[in-house]
Amino acid sequence: MSQFDPVSLEILWNRLISIVDEAAAAFVRTSFSSLVREANDYAVVLTDAAGGSLAQSSMSIPSFISTLPKTVRHFLERFPASELSPGDVLITNDPWMGTGHIHDVSTAMPIFYGGALVAFSAVTSHMPDIGGPVRTNDNSVIYEEGLQIPRLKFVSAGEPDPVVEAFIRTNVRVPDQTMGDLWGQVAAHKMLESRLVALLDETKISLTDLSREICQRSEAALRAAIADLADGEYHYVVRHDGFEEPLTIDCTVTIAGDNLSVDYTGTSAEVDNKAINVVEAYTFAYTAFPLKALLSPDIPNNEGSFAPISVYAPPKTVLNAQYPAATAARGQVGHMLPTAILGALGPALPDRRVAEGSGNSSITIVGHEEDHPFAVATFVNAGLGATARRDGRSALSFPSNLGNTPIEILEAEAPLLVHHRRLRHGSGGAGQRRGGEGIDFDFEYLGQAPASSAFLMTRRIEPPKGNSGGGAGAPARLLLNGEVVDPIRIKRLVRGDRIIIETAGGGGFGRDNDA
Amino acid sequence: MAMQGYRIAVDIGGTFTDGVVELLPEGQVLLAKRLTTPDDPSRAVAEVVSDLLEQLAQNFSALLPAEDCREVVHGTTLVTNAIIERKGVKVALFVTSGTADVIDIGRETRYDLYDLDIEMPVPLVPRELRFEIDERLNARGQVLRPLAMNGLDDGLAQAETQGVGAIAICFLHAYVNGSHEEALATAIRSRMPGVAISLSSRVASEVREYERMSTTVANAYVQPIAANYIALLKERLEAHQISAPLRVMVSSGGFTSDQAAAEVPIVLLESGPAGGVRSAVNTASQLGIDDILTFDMGGTTAKACVSTAGAPSITYAFEAARVKRFKRGSGLPILSPSIDLIEIGAGGGSIAYRNELGLLNVGPASAGAEPGPACYGQGGLQPTVTDADLMLGYLDPDAFLGGKMRLDRASAEAALTTLADDLGISVQKTAWGIHDVVNENMAGAARVHIAEKGLDPRRLAMVATGGAGPVHAIEVAQKLGIRRVLFTIAAGVGSCLGFLAAPVRVDRSWSSVQLLDMVDLEDVRIVFERLEDDIKTELGTADAAATASEWSIGIEMRYAGQGATILVTLPYSGIDKTILAELEARFLGRYEDLYGTTVPGAAIQVVTWRLAAQSKAETRVFSLATAASSDESLEAARRQIYLPAGDGYENVPVYERYQIPEGAELAGPLILQEAESTIVVARPAQVTVLEGGAVSVALN
Repeated sequence: MSQFDPVSLEILWNRLISIVDEAAAAFVRTSFSSLVREANDYAVVLTDAAGGSLAQSSMSIPSFISTLPKTVRHFLERFPASELSPGDVLITNDPWMGTGHIHDVSTAMPIFYGGALVAFSAVTSHMPDIGGPVRTNDNSVIYEEGLQIPRLKFVSAGEPDPVVEAFIRTNVRVPDQTMGDLWGQVAAHKMLESRLVALLDETKISLTDLSREICQRSEAALRAAIADLADGEYHYVVRHDGFEEPLTIDCTVTIAGDNLSVDYTGTSAEVDNKAINVVEAYTFAYTAFPLKALLSPDIPNNEGSFAPISVYAPPKTVLNAQYPAATAARGQVGHMLPTAILGALGPALPDRRVAEGSGNSSITIVGHEEDHPFAVATFVNAGLGATARRDGRSALSFPSNLGNTPIEILEAEAPLLVHHRRLRHGSGGAGQRRGGEGIDFDFEYLGQAPASSAFLMTRRIEPPKGNSGGGAGAPARLLLNGEVVDPIRIKRLVRGDRIIIETAGGGGFGRDNDA
Repeated sequence: MAMQGYRIAVDIGGTFTDGVVELLPEGQVLLAKRLTTPDDPSRAVAEVVSDLLEQLAQNFSALLPAEDCREVVHGTTLVTNAIIERKGVKVALFVTSGTADVIDIGRETRYDLYDLDIEMPVPLVPRELRFEIDERLNARGQVLRPLAMNGLDDGLAQAETQGVGAIAICFLHAYVNGSHEEALATAIRSRMPGVAISLSSRVASEVREYERMSTTVANAYVQPIAANYIALLKERLEAHQISAPLRVMVSSGGFTSDQAAAEVPIVLLESGPAGGVRSAVNTASQLGIDDILTFDMGGTTAKACVSTAGAPSITYAFEAARVKRFKRGSGLPILSPSIDLIEIGAGGGSIAYRNELGLLNVGPASAGAEPGPACYGQGGLQPTVTDADLMLGYLDPDAFLGGKMRLDRASAEAALTTLADDLGISVQKTAWGIHDVVNENMAGAARVHIAEKGLDPRRLAMVATGGAGPVHAIEVAQKLGIRRVLFTIAAGVGSCLGFLAAPVRVDRSWSSVQLLDMVDLEDVRIVFERLEDDIKTELGTADAAATASEWSIGIEMRYAGQGATILVTLPYSGIDKTILAELEARFLGRYEDLYGTTVPGAAIQVVTWRLAAQSKAETRVFSLATAASSDESLEAARRQIYLPAGDGYENVPVYERYQIPEGAELAGPLILQEAESTIVVARPAQVTVLEGGAVSVALN
C-alpha cells in the first residue's frame, strides 16, 4: 500500500510539476535570447538525487526531457555527491552527455535538504551562439562546430568561476546574450530550489518515497497501454534526404507483453562529412516521446515513463554516432524517428494511423550592424500528416516544439525585412484527409556589412509520404534571389539578397475519392 | 464627511442582468435581477434600474432624487461570451502586405506536447476577410514604404458585400508608430462612415504581431456590440434622470470610463468575474480570511481565482476561448492585464449531450438566456445543468428568481428523457450525472490552478458567487477537499457588490525604452505632470478625486536585452533626482528576491512608467435592506432533494435564507433559498449565519 492517499499524491505531483513550470517561467523571464523567449528552445527538469527524472516543464522540447536527466547522471560521474556543495552549478555542452549538439548548454544545480543531497535542478537551452561557424550541417567533426565545454563547475559554492566565464565569453559572438541566458538558467535553479525546499518544509515528505510512487504510477500506466497492443514485430522505413545519397531509418518495434523494444538495425551508417549525426541519448529521446504520446499522453512524464522502453541503434550508425562525429544538425535526422515509430505502430492502432509530416527547418543569421554583433534564429515549421480522423495541422512544430520568432522581433534584432510569412497554400498532400500546409517565408537582408547565414532544411528530396492511399506533401525548397539552391553550405548574405524558404506539406490520408 | 445618497451597480451576464443599489453611507443594499436581453442588453438594465429605484422608494420613504445617485458602476460578461460563443460581428482585417496568414500560423507551437490529435484555436476572421495593404515600417517605426490606398476599395467592397460589422487594422511595428494605422482608419471612415474600427496601436500597443493582431481582432469582433450597449445604457440611465458618472470595471479589477470602454471593450473581457473576485475578497476580509478560492458560476461559464493575502493575482498574457479545457496556449491570446483566473464553459445553461464515445458530456455550449434551459419554457429543447438541478430538487420551480420566473419541470424532464434514452440510462441517473460531470469539470480546473499557485486546496476557503455557484459549491468543494465554504450576501449579484467594494483606481502609462543611466529626468517630470492631469480628469468628480488619495509610480524595468520586465513600485510625490538611485536599488533588490541572483555587469533599462491613483482599500460591509428581523421564528418548508451519499432522494428542510437570524446554526443536508440563488447543502455539514448575513458551511 502506498503511504500517499490519492488526494495528497495528486496535490504533491501537481506541485512538483508546477514548481518546475514556475522555474521555467523564471528562466523565460530572465533570458536574453529570443531562442528561449520566443522559440521555446529549452527545458527545465527536476531529478532525484541520482538523476532520475521527477518532473519537467510543461512546454519542454521533447528530446530534452529524456536527455537532461542523463546529463545530471554524467555530472554525478564526474562530481560525485561528496564533491558537491550547496550553491554549485555544473555546466557542459558535450553532445554525448547533453542534448546531442554543442549549441545547447546544460547546467544543473544540486539541491540539499537537511544537509543531504536530495535533488537536482537541470536546465538546458539553445544558446544564441556557441562560436565556430553558424550552426550548419556542413561540418565533418566536432572540432569544427564551436566551443566545447566539458563538465565543469560554472559556479562553486555560490562563487562564479571567472575562468569558465572568460572562456565562454571569448568564444562566442554575442557574449552578453549567451552569458545572460546562462545566468537565466541559474535564476531558474534558484527558483526551483526555493520552491522545492518550501514544499519539503511544509509537507515533511520524503522526496525519495514520492519519487518512487510517481515513477511507479507512470511506468504502470505505460506498461498497461503497451500490454493492450497485440504482441509482435512492427516495421517501418523512413527515407531522409541525405546528401550524396539518401539515408534510411529502419525501425522495428517489438511488443512483448508490457515491454516494448525498438531496434534500428538496418539504419544508414554515420555520415563522416556532414553534421547530422545523432547521439544515442537523442535517439532514445525521440523514440520514447512518440510512444508516450501515443500510449499514455495524459499521465505525467518522469523516469517511469522510460522504463518499459528499450532502444537499440548499432554503434557507428547515424542514430548512434561516436565521438568526434559532427552533430550540429542532428534534429534533421532525429525528428524523423517519431514518424518511423508512429508509422510502425499504425497496424497495431488502425484508428491512430497518421501520414508522414515534416519536422522544422531553421534559419540562423549572424553578423555585425553599426558595430553591434547580432545573432538571430527562427524556426520555420511545416505541414503535419493527416490522420485517420482529421486533416493534418498546418505550420505546426512536431515532434519538437519550437515556436517562430515574431517578424517584429526578428527585424528589431537583425537587419532583415520580412516580405511575407504565409501558409504555403496547396502544399498539403491530397487525400480523404488532407495533409497540413507548410510555410512560405520570404525575407531580405538589409545589413550594410555581409552576414553569414545557415539554413537547416528537411524534406527537400523525400517529401512526407501519404498513408492508406493519401498523396505526398510538396517537398521543401530554398530560393536565393529567385534560384533554387542547396541549403547545405553557409551562405554569405549581402544587402538586397532575397531568401524564400518553403517548408514541406504533410502527407494526406486515404484516397481522395473515398470522402 | 461620509458620502450621502446612493450608488448603483449593474452587471450584464450571459444569462442574467444583475443590479444592486447601495444606500450611503450605511451600506444597505437592495437587489434586482432580470434575464439578459441579448437583442438589446440595455433593456434588461433599464428594468433592473427601475426595479431598484422602486425598491428604494418603498424601503426608504425619504425622497431620494435622481441627482442623489453618486455613480453607476458597471461590468459585463457580454464581451467574453460573444467570443467564446463566436457571436461577435463579422470583422474585416487589414494587415501589412505578406501577413494575412499570421493569425492562422500563430506561434507554431503545441500547447500540449503529447496530444497527437491537437486542436488549435480557429481565428475570429476567416481568410477571405483579411486584406493586405501595401505599406511598411521598420522596427524603429520609420517608413520603408508609404501607405498605399490601392486595393482598399476592393477590400471594403468585399467587406460590405459580406456584411462586415467592424474593421480591425494591424500593421507591422505599429506599436512604435501608429500613423499608418491612423491614416488607413481615416480613409476607411471616409468611405464607410460610422464603421467601428480597431487599431492595434491603440488596442494593444505591444510588440509581437500575432498576439497584437489577435487582441485587435477580438476587440473589433465585440466592439460594435459593446459600444452599442454602452450608448443604450447611458440613454436608459438618462431616461431615469440619472446623470451620475458611469465607471466600468476592467479585467484587472480597476475601472475605466464609459467612453474608453466603448472604444476598447477587450479590456472588459473579465470585468464581471473581476467584480466577483473583488466581492469575494471583500467578504472574506470581513471574516479575517486571507487565502480563498473564488468560485463563480453563472449561466454560461464558471471561473475560479485564487487570492492570497487578500489580493487576487494578475496576469498580463491572457487568453480567450481556449479550445482545450484549462490548457494555456489553446486560446486566442489577449494582451490586456487581467485577474488571473481560470474559466471553463460550465454554467446553468451548459448543454448536456452524448459525445462520440457514447459518454455524457456537459458544455461548453450554452443555451444562454434565449432560448435558455428547457425548463425556462422558452423553446429550449436541449437538457442543461439547470434542468438537471431542477430534477434533483435543488431548485424550486416556484421560487426561481424569488418566484418571478416559473420553471417548468415537465419540459426539463422531457429534455432529460431524450438524453437518457440516448445514453441508455435512467432519467434520474442522467440528472445526477450532469450535475456531477459539470462539478468534476470545474473541480479539475480549479485543482490545476491551485497547484500552479503552489497551494494546497485544503488550506483554502471557498467563496461561492454567481447565480449557479451556491447550487454547486459544496459538491465542488467536496471534490477539492475544501472544508469551509462561504456564501456572500446576495451571491447571485456578487459582481455588483464587487464593483461597489472595489477601490477607485485610475492608471496611466508611458512607454519609453531607455537605459536607466541615460534617463532625462526633466522629460519624465513633464510627462508625469501630463499623466497626473489625465488621471485627475478621469477621476472627474470631486468625490472620486478626494478618495483617490494614494498615488504611486510603477516602473517596468529589466536588464537591457531581456524581453520580460519586472515592476518596481514607489509612492509618488513628484519626480526628483534621487529617484534613479532609488530605482536601481529597488530593481536589484526585487530581481534578487524573485530570481535569487542578479546578472553581473549587465545594464539596467527602463521600459514603461506607470502612474496610478487609488483610494484606500478598506472592507465594505454591505447588509440587505430587506433582511428580516432576527426575532422571527424559523420555520422551514421541506422538499425532496437528491443526496449523493445515499444515492436517493430525501426530505430536507428548506429555509428562506434571509429569514434566518444572524448567529443561527443549522445542520445539513438542507436548502437555503434566496431570490438570487439557492445554497444547496446535500451533505452533513454545520451551517452558520454570520454577522452581516454571510453564510458559512463547514463540511463534516
